[in-house]
Amino acid sequence: MICWSRNGADRRYVIRMWVAAGLCVAFSVVAALTFRLGHPHGVLAYLVAVLPALPIGGALVGTGVYLGEEKDEFQRNLLVQALLGGTGGILTAVTAWGYVEDFAHAPHLDLIWVYPAFWAFAGISYAVVWARYR
Amino acid sequence: MKNRLRVLRAERDWSQADLAARLEVSRQSVNAIETGKFDPSLPLAFKLASLFEMTIEEIFFEDEEGA
Repeated sequence: MICWSRNGADRRYVIRMWVAAGLCVAFSVVAALTFRLGHPHGVLAYLVAVLPALPIGGALVGTGVYLGEEKDEFQRNLLVQALLGGTGGILTAVTAWGYVEDFAHAPHLDLIWVYPAFWAFAGISYAVVWARYR
Repeated sequence: MKNRLRVLRAERDWSQADLAARLEVSRQSVNAIETGKFDPSLPLAFKLASLFEMTIEEIFFEDEEGA
């Protein structure tokens, strides 16, 4: 999604994202195995269940760090607009689906899909913003 | 906002990539500024002015229709 600039901030960003994705997968496996084998209860169950979401917070912080490190203001501008588009898109979609669930009894949306859907919206938004500047 | 970047660059026989390297930005940034689709910040405008040894006003000027 990021166009390579010359200062390495984007390279570090991609590395951070891969690390976060790897941790997310690893923590998901750990949580799944813990629940399958250990059957945790109470606070421990909550702590283990939230484990895979922690790298997601890290990825978002990493995105903020990238915006601080990126010297190329045009690239920063592209990403900020894409993130705004992604945020707007996911908020609208999730809220709309909530109404559809309430009124039309549509199937319940598992909230676990909100984060990947956010990046899908951000990706589409990035392409639209990018096309405007071509 | 319009600018004379394309002309100034051509006078020096620089490609967009050459100018981008001198400014330490991406080629896409130079293209967006050059085509008037993205207005640079004041620090980047000063950097451009310094690079071409001109004032900012000699490089950038107001779009008459948009003024």
